[in-house]
Formats: sequence, C-alpha cells, structure tokens
Amino acid sequence: MTEVRAEMVANVWKVVASAGDTVEDGDTLVILESMKMEIPVLAEAAGTVSTLAVSEGDVVQEGDLIAVIE
Amino acid sequence: MPAGLSAGARATLRITVTDADTAVAAGSGDVPVLATPRLLALAEAACVAAIAPRMTPELTSVGTVVRLEHRQASPVGAELDIEAELTEISGSRLVFMFIARPADDSDRVIGAGTLERVVVDRERFLSRSDSRG
Repeated sequence: MTEVRAEMVANVWKVVASAGDTVEDGDTLVILESMKMEIPVLAEAAGTVSTLAVSEGDVVQEGDLIAVIE
Repeated sequence: MPAGLSAGARATLRITVTDADTAVAAGSGDVPVLATPRLLALAEAACVAAIAPRMTPELTSVGTVVRLEHRQASPVGAELDIEAELTEISGSRLVFMFIARPADDSDRVIGAGTLERVVVDRERFLSRSDSRG
C-alpha cells in the first residue's frame, strides 16, 4: 500500500484519477495549484487507487492524504 | 522553461516620475512623490523585460512573492533607473533582485528588493483563472 500525501499547502485544481482506477507509476492522480502554478501529484507506485481523499476545490495542507494505492 | 533562460539576465528601465506615478494618484498615500506600488510595478516590469528576449509566445510569467524596500522619496520630475537581474531559477520559479537609483546618482539607492515570478503556460493559466469567476 502506498499513501500519496500533499507536499505543500495547495488548492486541489483537478482530480484526474478515481477510486478503483488502475494506475501506473508516474500517472497523474490530481493536479494541485499553489503559488499560481499547476503541480501534478503522481502515483508513486503501480496499482489500484483504493482511496481518493480529495475533491476539486479542497485546500490541502502539507502532509494531508491525497490518495492510497494498493 | 524557455531554452536559454539563465541567471544573470538583466534589464534596466529609465523613467521620469510624473503626477500619474505618485502616491496621490495610486491611492496609496496622500503625498505627491513616487508611490511604493508604482515602484513595485516598475520593478516587476524590469523583471519581465529581463527575461522577455528568452520567452516564447506560449509562455508568460506571473508575480508571486515580493520583498521591497522603498528607502527614499522621489519627487515628480525625478529620473530613475530600475534595474532587475534574474538571480535564480528553480523549476518554473524565477527569483530576481532589483535596485532603483537616481539616473544621475548611481550611488544612491531609492529602492531595492527581491521578486519572484513563475513561468506558466499563458492559455492554461488564463483558463484556470477564468474558471474561478
């Protein structure tokens, strides 16, 4: 199981993946927006997205859970 | 990131302070001297000019972080040089230093500081902004 967590305070701009999706290492899960930049959050392992913990418009803090890949 | 953009890129703007540049005109104060927000706008413009030769039409840069000291007042009619230099590139983040001096007295510092901008895709950035209403 791999937990993907936010590395900074950011707005959730786009949610690209959904729970149940099969992803490859490096696939984009969500796109955050911080300091006017788009920051893709990538899958750090191949597997199935078991949890997608954020929605578009959410504000995440550093360390917040974004997704779980099993 | 545009090819060829590297630390050391610089530009200098020379301006004459007019009534339109004053704190009275900017709404930032009530004295007729160069407004601090106007100095910031000039510093940002110098940063944009410093990287303009290396930017492509699809890309632009937008301001993100400002640290500005406005040390001396400049009356209407004063001629100033505002110099900006790109000092650091970190991914799409650009860090600049700027310094403003009287055109006829380069030893005197009117204002100085650091500015950060990020390089973004112009259309994607505008569509993101628009979607926010």
